[in-house]
Amino acid sequence: MAHDSHHETELAETTANLSWYQKLYVPEVLRGLAVTTRHFLGNLFGNRDESTDVLYRKGSLGNQVATIQYPEERMPYPEGYRGLHRLVPRDDGKPRCVACYMCATVCPAQCIYIEASEYSDDPIEKYPTSFVIDQLRCIVCGLCVEACPKDAIRMDTYVHTPPEYSREGFVYPIERLLKGPAISYPSDPWVKREDSKQPEHQHFPLHDLAKHSTAPVAQNEPLPQGENHPPQPVFAESDFQK
Amino acid sequence: MRAALISAIILGLIAVIAGAVGVFYLVGGALGVIAQALFGAAYIGVAVANAHTLLLVLVMILASLLTLAERKWSALMQDRIGPNRARFAIPGLSKLDLAGLPHFLADGIKMLTKEDFVPDAASKGLFTLAPMLAFAPVFLLFAVVPIAPVVTAADIPGIAGLAGSLGVSAAFPVSLHVIPNLEIGLLYVFAFASLAVYGTALAGWSSNNRFATLGSIRAASQMIAYEVALGLSLVGTMMIFGSLKLEDMTAGQSAGLFGGALPAWGIFLQPIGFLLFFVASMAETKRAPFDAPEGESEIIGYFVEYSGMRFGMFMISEFVEIVVLSGVTVAIFFGGFHLPLPPSWGAEAWLASQFGSFGLAVVLGLAFVLKVILLCWVQLAIRWTLPRFRYDQIQSLGWKILLPIGLGNVFVTGVLLLLDESMDWLAIAGLAQLIFVIGLTALYPSKKPTTIRHSGRAASAQPAMPHGH
Repeated sequence: MAHDSHHETELAETTANLSWYQKLYVPEVLRGLAVTTRHFLGNLFGNRDESTDVLYRKGSLGNQVATIQYPEERMPYPEGYRGLHRLVPRDDGKPRCVACYMCATVCPAQCIYIEASEYSDDPIEKYPTSFVIDQLRCIVCGLCVEACPKDAIRMDTYVHTPPEYSREGFVYPIERLLKGPAISYPSDPWVKREDSKQPEHQHFPLHDLAKHSTAPVAQNEPLPQGENHPPQPVFAESDFQK
Repeated sequence: MRAALISAIILGLIAVIAGAVGVFYLVGGALGVIAQALFGAAYIGVAVANAHTLLLVLVMILASLLTLAERKWSALMQDRIGPNRARFAIPGLSKLDLAGLPHFLADGIKMLTKEDFVPDAASKGLFTLAPMLAFAPVFLLFAVVPIAPVVTAADIPGIAGLAGSLGVSAAFPVSLHVIPNLEIGLLYVFAFASLAVYGTALAGWSSNNRFATLGSIRAASQMIAYEVALGLSLVGTMMIFGSLKLEDMTAGQSAGLFGGALPAWGIFLQPIGFLLFFVASMAETKRAPFDAPEGESEIIGYFVEYSGMRFGMFMISEFVEIVVLSGVTVAIFFGGFHLPLPPSWGAEAWLASQFGSFGLAVVLGLAFVLKVILLCWVQLAIRWTLPRFRYDQIQSLGWKILLPIGLGNVFVTGVLLLLDESMDWLAIAGLAQLIFVIGLTALYPSKKPTTIRHSGRAASAQPAMPHGH
């Protein structure tokens, strides 16, 4: 009996805030149906806004369909998104990597495997004969990019790991990692060599500008991108598939 | 662009339905002639033809398309696109989503090829019987619904020639109605509607699963509770039209109110009766907001142990119930197959004079099917608008609200009928109720959810007004 009365008061409290109009229930149901119908008709007859750049999309005739048809339509990844790794090539097409093992050492998931070797004609720097990233082990933390002293590994592809049919497919050898335009710096040892065909200043045209400018950075004209600082390359998943 | 395409598709579908109605008449007439030649009784052939064309073709196609429509329409109501990834692997078609149409074929294939699992502890016989008992009664309900008017077979093109070549008379009547002239009419509807409870109750009980049993108990008590309100809600219309036969009710609704300015539809004469009937029969279909027996978020429902096509029977019976409920509602409250025009305009007589009685019958049959589809849409819209009622709310709505209102409705209808035989007073009362509800819906200031109450104090307290002021 006590339980029953408690239950009754609980119910009474939940209905106490309703006005007489809401207690009639039918008009409120009709209003709810009006909302549903408005969405239905707009979405049925209107054209869908197919732009994936905005979150709150509005098509014609009140179409508000928010679906993104995934593989065909994709939301753009935000700036600084850590995508699939790539090894940056230098001018002669070889990787900038000097096989220093910094990335493999810092990697918390231990997903980078490097085998180093030396150029037979060039005793100055090493190079990787094998540079393998196991994308299934990678936790996409970006520490390898931070650790790299040569700007040889980047995660600026804005592509996530494409699907594969086998686990072996997710182990990326050097051929699948070496992508994008060549990049050189004045400090690169292969540039400083006397027999280098490219003079030093050509490799870093922004150097002098940065040295002599005293104005705040924000007031500067946008700095011209040098020949060896190409714009951000655009990748697709298919670039990284076997 | 898309609006024009969708409109064109809708017009095309209307043409297809009109063609189907014509074909139904042709099949009925042809089988009638053959039965006349074989047995000397044309009505056997017409009944067999109608049982196949109306129940197996019309109702089943509508119901199975509703399985797709529920997903597609609910998506549109919720700003989504809905299923569109199933494709026909045919060059040229593989790029088109065809409004998700392949999904309903894929569903059928999936249902039929899935493992047919029977739990060890289940009662095998009842477990097999339950889906049939759930499906068959609702399927049979449509038999008493008149879809299109009676036409003499000789008026259907081609039938007179067929009858002449067989040497029999084509003077028998053909109508799209499986059981015409059934005196008990609505009682048949109530009787078979109440049989459906056995399917759900047995499904839960024979599964030997606690959740299923809970669901079936909920279903049984809910369906039995609402049968009372269901029966009472139609007493008013029985009194008005003076018959239990649905074709008599349809014929009665072709009359005019106020000298023909308004068709004498049940919705104008009995708006409260309509509301009670619609609510009670939605509760009988066990769909949201009355889907506590299924309650997929709390108990999975009485069919939790069913898989494959056995589960499919429960699901399709739900959609058949939607179609049947729409058909019965149209026949009783929305003028049956009559056009939604004032009778004083004489549209039906004009159509008959222009296109003959067969042309008129096809147009009326088309009007009926379109009304049914519209009401199916309303039911789905209600299902995707309202959340599920709590169980005690379902019972108190049935016993404490619908039942007294139904009794009062019978009393008021009786008094108004006694006072005025021409039903104008009844129509005035009905229109007043409709105008009251619609006006209230449109004009009552809606409460905007702008203030958030962080404490128990009233939300309407004036801001920036100190209390000591």
